[in-house]
Amino acid sequence: MTDIHALAGAYVLDAVDDVERAAFARHLDGCESCALELAEFRETAARLADSTWSVPPPALRTAVLAEIRRTPQERPGPAGRSGAARAGAWRRRLAVAAAAVLLAGGVGAATWVAQEQRVRDARTEAGAARDQAGAARDEAARIRAVLTAPDAVVRTDAVPAGGRVTVVASASRDEGVALVDGLAAPAPGRAYQLWLIEGTKATSAGVLPAGRGGGTKLLSGVRGKGLFGVTEEPASGSVAPTMTPLVAFAIT
Amino acid sequence: MTHGDSAGDVPGRSRLHAVPSAAPDQRAETDDLLRAVARGDEAAFERLYGLVSPRVHGLVRRVLRDPAQAEEVTQEVLVEVWRTAARFDPARGSATAWVFTIAHRRAVDRVRSEQAGVERTRRVAAGSAETPYDEVAEEAAARLERQQVRHCLDALTEVQREAITLAYYGGHSYREVAGLLETALPTVKTRMRDGLIRLRDCLGVELTR
Repeated sequence: MTDIHALAGAYVLDAVDDVERAAFARHLDGCESCALELAEFRETAARLADSTWSVPPPALRTAVLAEIRRTPQERPGPAGRSGAARAGAWRRRLAVAAAAVLLAGGVGAATWVAQEQRVRDARTEAGAARDQAGAARDEAARIRAVLTAPDAVVRTDAVPAGGRVTVVASASRDEGVALVDGLAAPAPGRAYQLWLIEGTKATSAGVLPAGRGGGTKLLSGVRGKGLFGVTEEPASGSVAPTMTPLVAFAIT
Repeated sequence: MTHGDSAGDVPGRSRLHAVPSAAPDQRAETDDLLRAVARGDEAAFERLYGLVSPRVHGLVRRVLRDPAQAEEVTQEVLVEVWRTAARFDPARGSATAWVFTIAHRRAVDRVRSEQAGVERTRRVAAGSAETPYDEVAEEAAARLERQQVRHCLDALTEVQREAITLAYYGGHSYREVAGLLETALPTVKTRMRDGLIRLRDCLGVELTR
């Protein structure tokens, strides 16, 4: 039983966030016993609604009946969608969920939006700016490619002192995206540094801007790296972590 | 979970069904109605409305705690039931569970968007407009089911009960629940799952194939 399996209860109670919902739904796709447990939990949760009883006002009935008369129904889909089609659907949902995290407010989102803006602005500039714009556009495209990769894996963990770190990693692309959000601002002259960890060896995956409690980073070389961690370091970054990570979790 | 393999089994497509339901006839009726709705049967939708709308409204209202928004969301839920009825697959559970999965999700989505500050003012403004439709028609069966749910909730440990009711009726995420109960995140996740297992067994919800 994997850790994600423990989310079954919270999932049925709608007590998870979008990223966890997508990750769990993905897990469900390949887990028949989970699907059964989940079906039972759904029946159970529905019974909790038995204890709520409040007849809606008659006007609501009139409004609903009028609305359904002008609302077309979805036609049933082709019988027995293939596993590949289902996987495709989950993948899109996963990408949407991951993008939602990027855009959902907070520092990570601000970075993303700022970067997109930078790409657009740069397009209107000539000459010297072109290389930089190209690099930014390239990075934005790579981030998008990771989020929509067929083998993208989403892992997220809360930082005990506050904040949340999410990593979307694609082994086939050997790249990932780290979203750091809501951490306490580091002390002056210090910054959060991201690490990819393999065994006892930590490789720097970039440093967030000094004094910032969040940001988005494209990660290169995620393949074979079991763990992702975050430490607080001097603003220029360290060669190796100088403290126990504030948060560290598996990304495969 | 038992697999039907006795000689008396009806051959054909396997399906899941909850047994025993507090009101098995009503369960079958709800399933049939929803399938008719999927074929565009408006009369069936009206009957389905009569069966589920008090609980949909009750649940949504309990989660949202605001009568005006509860009516809006209840309407959205019932129209979604009409629109997407073809997605209901009786092999994967009951029509009732299908409807309340939609209802709860919609209510929670509204709570979370509202927590983002969108309609907070409206909610305050609507707070005074208490509708008189609350203290209502009680069917004997409904009362019985309520008692059973309460009895089974009482049989949970305190943390299990709190975790489930804060999430289901309060619309809280498990992270918020952990904060409210001052309990570690993994513990809350586990208690939600353990609690649902105990509730499932107490309510006699069982899926057989």
